[in-house]
Amino acid sequence: MKKKILAACLSAAMVAAMLVGCGSKPAEDPAQDETPTEDQAEEPGGDEAEEPTEDETEEPTEDDTASGELLPGGGSNILYCITPSTSNVYFKTVQDIATEKGTELGYEVKCFSHDDDAATQLEMFEAAIADKAAAIICDNAGADASIEAIQKAYDAGIPTFLVDREINQAGLAVAQLVADNAQGAAAIAEAWVEAMDYKGQYAELLGLESDTNCQVRSENFHSVIDEYPDMEMVAQQSANWDQTEGYEKTEAILQSNPDITGIICGNDTMACGAVQACIDAGRDDIKIIGVDGSDDAAKYIKDGQMVGTALQQIALITQMAVEQADAYLNGTAPEEEKQLVPCVAITADNVDKLSSFVYTE
Amino acid sequence: MNTKKTNSNQMLMTLLKGRTFIVLIILVIFFSVVKDNFLDPSTLTMVAKHVALYGILALGMTFVIITGGIDLSVGSVVGLVGMLAGGLIQEGLTLSFAGVTLYFSVPMIVIMMLVVGAVIGWVNGLIITKLNVAPFIATLGTMYICRGFANLRSGGATFPDIAGYEGLGNTGFKVLGSNIANIPAGVYVFAVLAIISVVLLKKMPFGWYVLGVGGNEKSARLSGIKADRVKIIVYMISGFCAAWVGMINTAQLSAAHPASGDGWEMNAIAATVLGGTSMAGGSGTILGTVVGAFVIGVINDGMTMCGVSEFWQKVIRGLVIILAVVIDQTQRNLQAKMALQARNENK
Repeated sequence: MKKKILAACLSAAMVAAMLVGCGSKPAEDPAQDETPTEDQAEEPGGDEAEEPTEDETEEPTEDDTASGELLPGGGSNILYCITPSTSNVYFKTVQDIATEKGTELGYEVKCFSHDDDAATQLEMFEAAIADKAAAIICDNAGADASIEAIQKAYDAGIPTFLVDREINQAGLAVAQLVADNAQGAAAIAEAWVEAMDYKGQYAELLGLESDTNCQVRSENFHSVIDEYPDMEMVAQQSANWDQTEGYEKTEAILQSNPDITGIICGNDTMACGAVQACIDAGRDDIKIIGVDGSDDAAKYIKDGQMVGTALQQIALITQMAVEQADAYLNGTAPEEEKQLVPCVAITADNVDKLSSFVYTE
Repeated sequence: MNTKKTNSNQMLMTLLKGRTFIVLIILVIFFSVVKDNFLDPSTLTMVAKHVALYGILALGMTFVIITGGIDLSVGSVVGLVGMLAGGLIQEGLTLSFAGVTLYFSVPMIVIMMLVVGAVIGWVNGLIITKLNVAPFIATLGTMYICRGFANLRSGGATFPDIAGYEGLGNTGFKVLGSNIANIPAGVYVFAVLAIISVVLLKKMPFGWYVLGVGGNEKSARLSGIKADRVKIIVYMISGFCAAWVGMINTAQLSAAHPASGDGWEMNAIAATVLGGTSMAGGSGTILGTVVGAFVIGVINDGMTMCGVSEFWQKVIRGLVIILAVVIDQTQRNLQAKMALQARNENK
C-alpha cells in the first residue's frame, strides 16, 4: 500500500517536471514585439499625464515655476545626501559626487546611509529638517515607504531631489532623476545584435524575475533582438543577479545548447559569471552583454571577453540633481519632475572612457 | 502469514533505506531520456562540479544536524572566506603599525582561510554551548556578521582578479577552480572530505560522541562524553568545510564577490535532510548526504538543461524535500513497528 502511494507521488512529480520541462521555452517571443517599443515611446508622456490627476493641489509647483511658489529651503546652506548602504560602490558614488559637486557650488554636504530602512530614512529627514537643510538629495528606501519622509520635508519647506529610484507619488519631490533602463537595454542589445552578425542561437540570463528592473531590461532586449528573424533564443534562465548562479547556469546551458553564440544578461554580475564559464569551457566565440557599467565588466570588455554593457550614469544623475537643487534654490525649478537619464552603451570602442560609473566624453 | 508480512515489511524497509539512491537513479534515467547528452562525461563532470560546492557544505552540516543543531552561517562564511582570500592575493595584508604589506603564498592563504572558517565555527560553538543561545539564533547572528564583514572588506566591490602576481610568488590560487586530469579540483576536495567524514563518523570514537550527543544529550553527558566540546568541534568542522567552498567558488569564478554563497546554507540543509539525517538529531550518514547532494544537483542542472523556469525549479525542489522527509517519517514508524513485532515474537 505504502509502496503504491510512493510510486504515485514519484510519478506525479516526474510528469509535472516533464510537462514543465518541455513546454516553457519560446512561448513569449511574438507578443513582445510591439509592447516594449510602445512603452518606451509613451513613458515620458504618460508620466506627465498622470501627474495632475494624481495630485491636483501640487500642480502650481510644477507649472507656475516663476511665480514664487518654490519651497524656500530650511535656511542654512547644508545639503543632505541620503542613500542606501555605501558598502555598494554604486551608492558610494552618489555620496562622493554629491559631496564634490555640492562643495564646488558652495554648500556644506552631509552624507548619511539609511540601509534601505524607511524608518531610519525618516529619522534622517527629521534631522535634516532640524538642521534647517537647504535641500535633500535622496536615493530612497522604497517607492511607497519613503513618501512620508519626503512629505515632512515638503511641509517644512525643504525641497527633495530623488536620484536613482522613483517614488509612487508625484508632486512631492521637486525632481526624480532615474536611469532609463529601457533605453539602455535596447541600446546595448543593438550593439550586441551587430556583433552577432544578426543571426544565431543565444541564451538569456534573467535577474530576479519578480524585480521590475529584470522585466524592463528583458523586454527591451527582446524589442530589439526579436526584430531579427534569424536570431533564436534557445534558453532563458534566471540567475538571480548572482555571479555563481550565472556561472553554473551558463555551464548547464552550454551543455544542452552547445550551438549558442551569444548570451544576454540582466546585469553585469551575472555576465561576469557567464564570461568565466565560457572561458573555462574554451568558448571564446560567445558574445556576452550585461547592464550596469561596473568596473568588472569594463575589464572584460577591454579584454574582448564581453561585447558590452549599458552604463547607468549614476554619477551624472547625482551631478544633475545637485545642479538642479542649486538652481531651484536660486529660483529656477526643473521643467519636469520625472527625468529619465539615458544610459550609455559601453563597447570596446568607448570602454576607456568609463571608470567607477563615470563616463567622460 | 506472520512471516510473510515480516518479509514484505523487510523488503519495504530496504527500499525505504535506499530511497534517496533510488530517487537519484530515477532522476538520472529521466533526464537522460529527456536530454540525450545528459550522460555525457562532460555533463556528469559539470554536475559533479556543481554538487561539490554545496556537497562540501552539507558534509559539515551533517555533523551539526546529527548533534541536533543547525548552522545557518555557512553561506556567509563562503562569501567572507572568498573575499578574504581574494583580498590577500590582490592587496596582501597591510600592517599599518609596521608600515609593511605582507603577501602570502597560496598554500599559506589556503591554510589561513581554513583556520578562519574553523575559528568562526569555534565562535558559533562557544556562543551555543557557553552562552546557551539556541543554534538557530546564534548562527543566524554570525550569518549576518560574516556577510557584513564580507562587504566591508572591499566596500561592496568585487576582487576581480585572483590570478596573483608572479613577482610576489602568490600565483596558483586558480588551481582550486580548474580541472586536474579532466576532473574539477572541487570534486577531489569533496571526495577526500567525504571519506574523512565517513571515517570520523563511523570508525572513530568521536563519531559515537556526535551520535550520542544528538540522540540523548543527558545520557551522553552522564556516560562521560564532554558534550560541549563535541558540539564546538562539529561547528568547527562545518566552518572548515565552508572555508573550502569559499575558496573553490572564488577560484572557479576568478573573482571574489561579497554576495557569494547567499542562501547556500539552505541547499546544504536540504541535501543533508534528503540524505536521511534527522533534524531532531541522533541519526544520519555521510553517504546519505552525498547522495542527497547529488539528487539536488541533478535536479538543478537537469531542469536548467531542459529549460524549466526558475519558478518551477523552486516548486519541484520544495516538493522533493518534503517528500523525502515524509518518507523518512514512514521509515521511522515502520522501524518502530517492526521492533515491536520482533519483541512480541520473542515473547
